[in-house]
Amino acid sequence: MARNKFDVDEVLEDSFDVNQLKRLGNYIIPYKKQMAFVVFMMLSSSALTMLVPIFFQKIMDICIPARNMEQIMVYCGFTLAIAFYSAFALRMKIKHMSLVGQNIIHDLRSDIFVHLQELPFSYFDDKPHGKIQVRVVNYVNSLSDLLSNGIINTITDLCNLIFIVIFMFIEDVRLTLICITGLPILAVLIVFIKKRQRRAWQIQSNKQSNLNAYIAESINGIRVTQSFVRENENIGIFNDLSKNYRKSWMRAVKFNFIMWPCVDLISTITTAIIFVLGVRWILAPTPTMTIGVLIAFTAYISRFWQPINTLAGFYNSLLTAISYLERIFETINEPVEVKDAEDATQMPPIKGKVEFQDVSFSYDDGIEILHKINFTANAGDTYAIVGPTGAGKSTIVNLISRFYNVDCGRILIDGHDISKVTLRSLRKQMGIMMQDSFIFSGTIMDNIRYGNHDASDEEVIRAAKTVCAHDFIMELENGYETQVNERGSRLSQGQRQLISFARALLANPAILILDEATSSIDTETELLLQKGLNELLKGRTSFIIAHRLSTIKNADCIMYVDRGDILEKGSHEELLQEKGEYYHLYMSQYDFLKETENK
Amino acid sequence: MTPMKWFLSFLKKYRGLMIFGIILTFIITSLNIINPYISGLIVDKVIRGGEYDLLLPFVGLMVIVVAVKGGLRFVYQLVFETASQGTLYDMRDKVYRKLLQEDFAFYNKKRTGDLMSRQTGDMDAIRHFVAYVIYFTLENILMFIIALVMIFTVNVKLALCMLIVLPFTALCTYLQSKEVKPAFKRNRDCFSSLNAFVQENISGNRVVRAFSKEDYEIDKFNKENDAFRRAGIDASHVWMKYVPIFEVLAYSLNIILMLYGGYMVINEEISLGDLVMVNGYLWMLNNPLRMAGWLVNDIGNFVTSVEKIYATYSEEPNIKTPKKGISRKLKGDISFQNVSYRADDEDIVMDINFDVKAGQTVGIIGTTGSGKSTIMNLLCRFYDTTSGQVLIDGTDVKNLDLYNLRSNIGMAMQDVFLFSDTIEGNIAYGRPDCSFEDVKKAAIMADANHFIMAMPDGYDTVVGERGVGLSGGQKQRISLARALLKNPSILILDDTTSAVDMETENYIQKQLKNIGRTCTTFIIAYRISSIKDADLILVMDKGRIIEKGTHAELLKKGGYYATTFHNQYGEIPEDVLREDRSVSQKPTETNGKQSGKGGN
Repeated sequence: MARNKFDVDEVLEDSFDVNQLKRLGNYIIPYKKQMAFVVFMMLSSSALTMLVPIFFQKIMDICIPARNMEQIMVYCGFTLAIAFYSAFALRMKIKHMSLVGQNIIHDLRSDIFVHLQELPFSYFDDKPHGKIQVRVVNYVNSLSDLLSNGIINTITDLCNLIFIVIFMFIEDVRLTLICITGLPILAVLIVFIKKRQRRAWQIQSNKQSNLNAYIAESINGIRVTQSFVRENENIGIFNDLSKNYRKSWMRAVKFNFIMWPCVDLISTITTAIIFVLGVRWILAPTPTMTIGVLIAFTAYISRFWQPINTLAGFYNSLLTAISYLERIFETINEPVEVKDAEDATQMPPIKGKVEFQDVSFSYDDGIEILHKINFTANAGDTYAIVGPTGAGKSTIVNLISRFYNVDCGRILIDGHDISKVTLRSLRKQMGIMMQDSFIFSGTIMDNIRYGNHDASDEEVIRAAKTVCAHDFIMELENGYETQVNERGSRLSQGQRQLISFARALLANPAILILDEATSSIDTETELLLQKGLNELLKGRTSFIIAHRLSTIKNADCIMYVDRGDILEKGSHEELLQEKGEYYHLYMSQYDFLKETENK
Repeated sequence: MTPMKWFLSFLKKYRGLMIFGIILTFIITSLNIINPYISGLIVDKVIRGGEYDLLLPFVGLMVIVVAVKGGLRFVYQLVFETASQGTLYDMRDKVYRKLLQEDFAFYNKKRTGDLMSRQTGDMDAIRHFVAYVIYFTLENILMFIIALVMIFTVNVKLALCMLIVLPFTALCTYLQSKEVKPAFKRNRDCFSSLNAFVQENISGNRVVRAFSKEDYEIDKFNKENDAFRRAGIDASHVWMKYVPIFEVLAYSLNIILMLYGGYMVINEEISLGDLVMVNGYLWMLNNPLRMAGWLVNDIGNFVTSVEKIYATYSEEPNIKTPKKGISRKLKGDISFQNVSYRADDEDIVMDINFDVKAGQTVGIIGTTGSGKSTIMNLLCRFYDTTSGQVLIDGTDVKNLDLYNLRSNIGMAMQDVFLFSDTIEGNIAYGRPDCSFEDVKKAAIMADANHFIMAMPDGYDTVVGERGVGLSGGQKQRISLARALLKNPSILILDDTTSAVDMETENYIQKQLKNIGRTCTTFIIAYRISSIKDADLILVMDKGRIIEKGTHAELLKKGGYYATTFHNQYGEIPEDVLREDRSVSQKPTETNGKQSGKGGN
């Protein structure tokens, strides 16, 4: 799948089908008891409500002519009782359905979130984050009412409808049949517009997603936007997206608006036919209908169409919701590429021997990044990986943590194939510091402790001291309790790197991976850092990727990677002797000195 | 300005449309009364009265009324929807513009997810209000009034008696709206917090995986998710309390009618027919009462959202473009005079003094967090100096038009942010309408052309947000190309080559020297090699400039700079001086061979 941009609609890969509806049912089934109870309350209360007009009739027909105030008061008492019962039923409905609605979206959201945690990097790399987010938060929210009150109302209305139809049949079969003929007409109409209506709502949800993605990016990239004075351009793009959103909304909502006039019109036409035919039957030489039946029937007609009206409303919201649901399920169905093998075992405590055996790897685009790589890293040693930008250095270390599965070959740690052990037990024993140092919003203490939540404050501080972060942290207004945020903007890049470094150390890993971990740290701090680290690195295997060669000179082994292969391997001195690529790289850093002399 | 007034200022534009909609609401509400009336006539006159000639006209009228009503209803729903989407569009635009103006200090405090909630969830409450709640409320009030007037014409005493429910209704409405607001506020807060959490989890997904913290994240998520559910349920407890009361109030009208109406008929104060008539109007009183509780809810939700959006909107940025800002092409003479900057009770930089002539190169080196980037942020006015002055071409930057100032500066930031767009789109970010040749030229200068061309779609390759999928060095080079394309008078390279190899850096430096026009360049770096040719090198520590001079001067001085130099290059190998290695060697040789995809 191609990478998605904010202004490109996502292609829907799984369209909504019955299975997904079943799947949705699984979220509702746990609450069937509450649902049944509420349906019972609502039906009983609506049945009781029907008594009120009858009371009124009785008062008019019997009590008033008899001047019987006491009897009226009795009826009033009954009505009051019904009022309280209805109020109670309503209370129960609100109580249980809010609970059910909230629970269902809670469960649904939980499932999508948990699944997200298992998806590979590529899932997050391929689309703007705002588009993933809108599924977890906004789409799920929009389902709450539909899946609780919507279902209850539908069931209640269906029951009401059945009751009415039964009453109508008892009263007169012919008129009932006329009345019901309205339904197929309505059905045809619904089928006729359904496809377009669905499409319209799908488009709308795409536009919403695009807008959301752009807002997210605008906020995250605000510094770039301001420094490039792109405000006007961005406002233009934003307004285009906003306009598309509005247009798609207006288009989709029109389909919904068509529904009610249609239901109204069909119901009125059938009523008209019933009047006309009814009167004709009454007037026929041999009347087949009585006046009383026709009058009673006209009263039923409105009761017949009322639930259909609300059902039509439910249908409308269902169609809207499906365009959200299919996105939600699409995410939940997204296959997990890197996962535990079925017979995966726990990785025992790692000593630190890492072996690559004929490892080849390519990303989705099929271009081979690594080709049959072989090397063995001894436990406790420090390995540096150098090579030109984009040579596959990060890929090698990402494979050690099994962020991706190798295409062929094996990676062994202490002789265990890493594809045969559980991911958690493997990654728990590794400390990885990546190129992008991500800072979570919270305190600095929280951010360092992310590496190990059981660590005490003292341990956090010790880790910070080891990476030379303690001093600058103490200079902040609240020290370790200073609030930072995701963009980490109050910290310099180097400071953020130090914090993520401390975080990696606190994890007390057996294997430590530093991917450009110190690129934005000054040399002096780095030297101090290395002194502290030397002590810490003892007994741990570490892999270091760096462009500043002073950082890696002391590594036990330096591997020069390019063209998908390890071209050279050896200690700094050995590689210099070899006068190959590394030598060339090493010397190139003195080019600038030569140049000065040439001047 | 109050939040409500602010909201109304948006609605004003759609005043005509809204009035039209309201008139339609009146018409439809009255049409609603006609059909039951016709049905009644058919029963009375045709069926009972035997005036069969009237049947077809009556029936025809019924269908026509419904057809007209249906059409009108479609129109007025569209009218309100149009007004609502229009209002929303304008509001989103205003809020978005404001977001773009807010300064770094604002963004340092706000979570992305919170800001997004204002633009999404809160906006939706406003849409619902304008599109639906307004007309529905009006319709209900109108219905209530019409029915009441009708009953008054029948009998004043009976009508007055029915008015008894009004004070109760008013009281309940008042109490509910008071109680529901904090509940909604909490609900919106929880929503916002959940949104912010999910947003960070998605952005930080690599760290989560790296530390195998999925369980921890799920735990935290559960807390947010539970809190949001709790807030939703708590809010429902408010209407659970009031909605049933309105239900009882609605029924009490039936009881009043039966009891007092019956009494009046018995005492012959009104006729039986009057009683039937009033009973016919009763649903028009009942329904609005039943809806009252829900409407109070919707309004409460709306008010909360407007307040939340307005609270964000009304935060004024501290850094604004001056009223009569000077706007011109800058030459690039820069002077920092006793500049200090303080934030959050912390001195970030102090007593910064230096002068640069247009076209010169300044190198800045120093300890982590010593304020190097801050100096550049002061130059671009991302922050304002606490004391002292930053002058460009002799003018205080605070007197320059803000946008003009920034247009003259090209900046490649430390923390590279790329947009989820094509590579071409990213490089042309500052000049969206420039030609592809220019984009390519900039990419070649930044030594990015080769790896871009090696990608499957070349310059049309879409990169992920934050440039995921590219290696650190690749991102830095794109960011550099982006800054170069701007043709700035002042170029700031903030740690731009830390993740590229030495050869590439050499190449880039040479390109920068041949830029072909005067361009004052600032290079912040940790590698001496990046800055050693600079006309002026500033060495910073703890917010101050501790050394100042050229490479040679600073080496002689034997201070921090000299120490760093030795730390980085140690003993210079004899080979370097002996062997005649070509300086102008093309680093792209290696780059050309590498495969396209970065190593993340």
